[in-house]
Amino acid sequence: MQKQLKNLKVKWIPILVFTLFGFALNAQQTVTGKVTSASDGMSLPGVNIVVKGTTQGASTDLDGMYSINVPSQESILVFSYLGFTTQEIAVGSRTEINVALADDAAQLNEIVVVGYGSRKKSDLTGAVSSVNSKELTAFPLLDASQALQGRAAGVVVQSNNGGEPGAPINIQIRGNTSIGASSNPLIVVDGFVGAVFPQPADIASMEILKDASATAIYGSRGANGVVLVTTKKGSKGKLTVEINSNYSTQNTTNELDLLNADQFAAYQTTLNSGYTQGDANTDWQDLLYRNGSTQNHQFSFSGGSEKVNFYASTNYFKQEGVIVNSEFERISFLANVDAEVTDKLKLGMNLFGSRGNQDGVPTQSTGQTANGGGDDVVSLTFRFAPDLGIKDENGNNTINSVGDNVDNPYAIATEGVNSTKNDNFRANLYADYEILEGLSFKTTFGYSTRNQNFGLFRPSTLIVTAGGGTGGSATIQNLKNTNILSENYLTYNREVGKGDLTLLAGYSYQKNTTETFSAGAQGFTSDSFSFSNLGSGAVQLIPTSSFSETEIQSQFGRINFDWDDKYLFTATVRRDGSSNFAKNEKYAIFPSGAIGWKISNEEFMQGIEQISNLKLRASYGVTGNQGIAPYGSLATFGSVFTPINGQTVINVTPGQVANPDLKWESSYQTNIGLDIGLLDNRISLSLDYYNIDTKDLIIADTSQPQYLGFLNPASLRNVGEINNRGFEINLNTRNISNENFTWTTDFNWSTNKNEFVTLLNGEDIFQDASPGYFNIDRTHVLREGESVGVFWGYEYQGVYQGGDLPAGTGLLPGAEAGDQLFTDLDGDGEITPGDDQKIIGDPTPNWTFGITNNFTYKNFDLNIFFQGSQGGDIMNLTAVQLFNGDSNATTDILNSWTPTNTDTNIPRARLRGKEISSRFVEDGSYIRLKNIAIGYNLPLELVEKIGLDGVRVSISAQNLLTITDYSGLDPEVNFLGSGGSGNQNTFNGFDFGNYPTVKSFNFAVNLRF
Amino acid sequence: MKTYKYLFLLIGISIFGCSDLEEEPVGLLAPDGFFNTVDDIETAANGAYGHMTHEDFWGRKMSLTLMLRGDMVDIGDPTTSTRRIEHNEFNVPTDNGMISGYWLRVYQMIAAANQAIAGADDVNVADEIKNPMTARAYFARAFAYFHLVRQFGDIPYIDAPITDLEASSSISKTSAADVYANIIADLQFAKTWLPDTQIARSIPAKSAAHSYLALVYLTIGDYQNAYTEAKGVIDNESVYNLGLEADFQSLFDASQIDNSVEPIFTLDFIGASNGDDGRDYQAALTGLRDDEQYGLGGGWSVGVPSLEVYNTWDGRDYRKAVSLDTTGVFDGVLQPYQVFRESGAGRGVNRPHIAKYTRAIGETATGNGRGSNANYMMIRYAEVLLIAAEAHNEISGGSAEAMGYVNRVRARARNSNGVTSGLFPEDIAGLSQDALRDVILEERKWELAFEFKRWYDIARRQLGSDVFSASGLEGDKPNFDPSQDYLFPLPAQELARNPNLLPQNPGY
Repeated sequence: MQKQLKNLKVKWIPILVFTLFGFALNAQQTVTGKVTSASDGMSLPGVNIVVKGTTQGASTDLDGMYSINVPSQESILVFSYLGFTTQEIAVGSRTEINVALADDAAQLNEIVVVGYGSRKKSDLTGAVSSVNSKELTAFPLLDASQALQGRAAGVVVQSNNGGEPGAPINIQIRGNTSIGASSNPLIVVDGFVGAVFPQPADIASMEILKDASATAIYGSRGANGVVLVTTKKGSKGKLTVEINSNYSTQNTTNELDLLNADQFAAYQTTLNSGYTQGDANTDWQDLLYRNGSTQNHQFSFSGGSEKVNFYASTNYFKQEGVIVNSEFERISFLANVDAEVTDKLKLGMNLFGSRGNQDGVPTQSTGQTANGGGDDVVSLTFRFAPDLGIKDENGNNTINSVGDNVDNPYAIATEGVNSTKNDNFRANLYADYEILEGLSFKTTFGYSTRNQNFGLFRPSTLIVTAGGGTGGSATIQNLKNTNILSENYLTYNREVGKGDLTLLAGYSYQKNTTETFSAGAQGFTSDSFSFSNLGSGAVQLIPTSSFSETEIQSQFGRINFDWDDKYLFTATVRRDGSSNFAKNEKYAIFPSGAIGWKISNEEFMQGIEQISNLKLRASYGVTGNQGIAPYGSLATFGSVFTPINGQTVINVTPGQVANPDLKWESSYQTNIGLDIGLLDNRISLSLDYYNIDTKDLIIADTSQPQYLGFLNPASLRNVGEINNRGFEINLNTRNISNENFTWTTDFNWSTNKNEFVTLLNGEDIFQDASPGYFNIDRTHVLREGESVGVFWGYEYQGVYQGGDLPAGTGLLPGAEAGDQLFTDLDGDGEITPGDDQKIIGDPTPNWTFGITNNFTYKNFDLNIFFQGSQGGDIMNLTAVQLFNGDSNATTDILNSWTPTNTDTNIPRARLRGKEISSRFVEDGSYIRLKNIAIGYNLPLELVEKIGLDGVRVSISAQNLLTITDYSGLDPEVNFLGSGGSGNQNTFNGFDFGNYPTVKSFNFAVNLRF
Repeated sequence: MKTYKYLFLLIGISIFGCSDLEEEPVGLLAPDGFFNTVDDIETAANGAYGHMTHEDFWGRKMSLTLMLRGDMVDIGDPTTSTRRIEHNEFNVPTDNGMISGYWLRVYQMIAAANQAIAGADDVNVADEIKNPMTARAYFARAFAYFHLVRQFGDIPYIDAPITDLEASSSISKTSAADVYANIIADLQFAKTWLPDTQIARSIPAKSAAHSYLALVYLTIGDYQNAYTEAKGVIDNESVYNLGLEADFQSLFDASQIDNSVEPIFTLDFIGASNGDDGRDYQAALTGLRDDEQYGLGGGWSVGVPSLEVYNTWDGRDYRKAVSLDTTGVFDGVLQPYQVFRESGAGRGVNRPHIAKYTRAIGETATGNGRGSNANYMMIRYAEVLLIAAEAHNEISGGSAEAMGYVNRVRARARNSNGVTSGLFPEDIAGLSQDALRDVILEERKWELAFEFKRWYDIARRQLGSDVFSASGLEGDKPNFDPSQDYLFPLPAQELARNPNLLPQNPGY
């Protein structure tokens, strides 16, 4: 079943053939009409209209109306407007021409936000991808970061836990640059470093800074890339009020075909002749899964006078997950105000606040044998015996009749409480003063805070998870994080001959503090207390609390120099000091430089009409990653749970050894890019090649002898090097653009090769993603010359048919005919851990892509977005569990080997260890119809009659179609090891117990007045 | 100009950060300047005792290893992890997961003790005030090294906090003889300074150091000293408040053990834990799968005595009934051990199961009896009597005194429910030195059955070739090699981290 997808790319070629063109022609004398935006039907004021080849022109008024005299029927009108595709229309015999202009994603004059400033897109020297507000709102998103998936080359976005309501989203730019430190990019919202994403509908644009030239201005936090988010601002003119509402229903994309009660009992009887069938027939998937829903309502208003403009919105989001009892609810607000106090002084403020309320169910097996992996409802749904009901004859929740004792998943989902509340608040003030012409000073002061309350309760009715008859257990955890940021910088701009010079110099200080507190108790007199009455518990667990603080102070500067609009030069430097690092290594300098050459502006290119833009870019620079916890370099004490004389007592134990030389990881990145615009930029193509060497990787030093006795036996150390190199393509085409019909295509494709160059002493680092009760130690390995987290295990050679062993193969101890045959790597005749295990798969995809087609026809528009991944392997741990004998199984088990059914790849039914082998490695390639949406803008005449400015309705579907050979539920897997605690950098491609991915159908209304 | 006002205001509130970036951790303790009072010594010593209750150590990994290596407890569930089976079958690779699992934990115990001992130097009070507290750390260090030296022989020996990382990372092994000498010195210190009694048996008193000295001398075959120390404990029975529990069953009842005079040093689990910190698994490991009788949700039938244990144990011995469960309850019906497997879901084992850790363990933190309230007795008074007997028999063969100690243990064993109800096991008299030696070792086997003592007895008396032969309780163990298996392999990973620890133990 593996590797059959190799020739998949051939299937994709038809989808990639999209470049078609269409024009229409006509002519007359005085022409009037209205210009609107094709995407939302809004009238466009100030659109420039000229008669082609003349100086005759006009522009539209506030309502988008225009009137122009034309010399003849052969005249051609050219409609142009910033941010929209220029449209040429032959007049012909018409007197009224209404025009809908299409958005222009590839607009070269577009202003792109970069760190501490902005640049014209055509003047960029670095690798920057943009996602515009339209893409952000094309379909409902839980989190704005999801809009990056498939939209920007080199950016990988994945939910931490499938379709779980409120699950965090992970973003990775240009591969994994770290093992021990974070691999997530820096998020900067309206200049606030380290913010949370605002609501998608509040975002004007997102820029993804990828190469060192773009990110080095963020120094020791730039190595994983930077996402710059700019929220919407008001503009002069009348008040605009907008209401967006959408509602969607969701269900699981897929279910496993499990044995029913009779099949299950028959199967178990072959393993244990004494098995007695239970009297129920329960489809646990049916019980646990339901139709979920989301609703999202946003109300915003914006506007401005000559001197002051504002934008404010409030948003309500609610999701009922597809697993019973899982929900997420969020209320948020955002307000931006900007004021011109004088000609020279601008003041402004951004405010953001949100409350998220997540009621979860436990997923991602905690896998501790302590719980038998028994509190993960997703994997239990598959494991649990179908011949048991929810309650036994005594009215107690049933416990599995095979395998480890575990409570049934329905009881865990519905009776346990798992609640997380998150409050976020952020305020950012700025003042911008023009000291002299060309020289301005900007100062910002920001404050953000996050409060998280987590509560967990396991009632006494959950016999196994809560402990036999202990009266339930409850835990609360609080976290408070506060972030203060002050930034001050000067910007100087002047023209020098044919050149344009921009200088930036600044100082920044940021302080981040985190306080945590937790407490717990067991043995309550009533299950009704939940976690809200810890004091009544008979057994009090030791409360914990902690405080940590990180400071960063920096100086930074940048020079941009453009000569004759042909040669572009950028140099940046940032000096960062971070408290997280050791005494001897507090400061470092991160420089970068880049050049750009606008070849198309050279004399010799002027004759070539087809090429409208040609630019070569090259950059090199150093960025850092300081994403490790504070105090990592200090010698400390830790403590352990110490019961003495029936109670716990305070204690200390040596925690870690000091490392006075611990410092950040440094990435040395080269980027070479080419931007090509053809046929008046109807086709625009960007190509980027990059190479990133990340050195001084922070690795837990497991080479330190354990007899030293530290609580953390592997202290952090700067050893190791990782390399990422790749190639990215962004292609935007305007295939058809005329009065009634437009068709644009955005395509991106990227490939990233990731390789460990150096690891500590060249030694393999083995890791284990499997749930603890699997009782195996290794599922993947970090090895020099290999990519991150390649799978580790036996090589499966099919079913042993009895008799002589095929050459080079062997069996596990105790195996007989019908059991698994493995490659005997060391040739010693037996299969033993270590000696006969090897790399059996690589979860890193060869390439990923996204393709969006947008069509508009009159008032209709259609968005089709495919996204896919090719060549990444998946380790199907769910299948390891389900073929193991101590749980329910998929119907594939009915085809297992028997003396009369020998032509099968599935070994005989029996209880066996949960060995990891290539048998469970599958190709995880997929193509997914991420979104299909049809929108309709009500005709303006009709809308205006009811007193509105615009009405849009749309229906859409997400994840409607997935093409994959993967046998599990969904190829976008994200099991992060026991309790979801695994390292996101190195735990890739594991499928087990994560919340299912959902398919959704959505209806949305947008009103403007 | 007026606008400057706003500007300066903002600059004013902005530029307040000019930091030296020094980290000043709050709520995290660093060794520097920590030790000021006797309480600080106690806090540090407590750390060592905390590690003892971790899953890595007595919660499961080391205790289960010791249990499975002996000749009484066999693997029940054959699908249990390989690393356990390897010990049961004497097929232990150098990277065995049990050993690598607890190796670190034992050294963490030692590091915590070293920190307390070194820290005591900083506490500026008289020896009479601080030494009784520091002595707890000495006892913990001796306790930890005593396990290691019996299992591994020559080992890396650390007796001070790590200051020079590089030097400490490249030390060589210390010989077993020197380690024993250090253990004895630590126990002598502890015996000198610990008070006669403590408020609980989970805190070592003088009796604990005294008894352990006897056991250490017995282990190295210094029978004269073993006898002297054991006799010293017996002579101080009332000073130390020691005695034999009237009813053998009470020793394994979590609700009674706290007040018993018999335990000398215990690890006191409290029915609550923090993950695997402070959590024990014996009830789950030794409990009967799918059994309903104790309301624990059944056990896992991992460590189950071989049938010969049941068959050869005299049925008249009350201790047999206390130590083993021959029945279980399935679907509300009492079933004999012959049909355990068929009565449950098919992973049970048709042999009597250990009852010492399931029958009366009190409230548990989580299912299967994990996180119990049990007090695990590291040494109890009955063992001290048997040490005295064994040692005296070696220095004065067949002595009446030695037999007297055995008879005290046997007398209690005849007390069913605290009253004498039978004649078995009968008193012994007039045995030769060799016969008495055998009787005492047998007595230890039954009296201390499943209390993690048997492997150490087999190893110190070199009984392996006999007890692991076809006539042994678990039947023939063909992999057992007396030239290799009395010692465990040092963890291969540790030898790689510090090659100066080579050579590996013989045979591995």
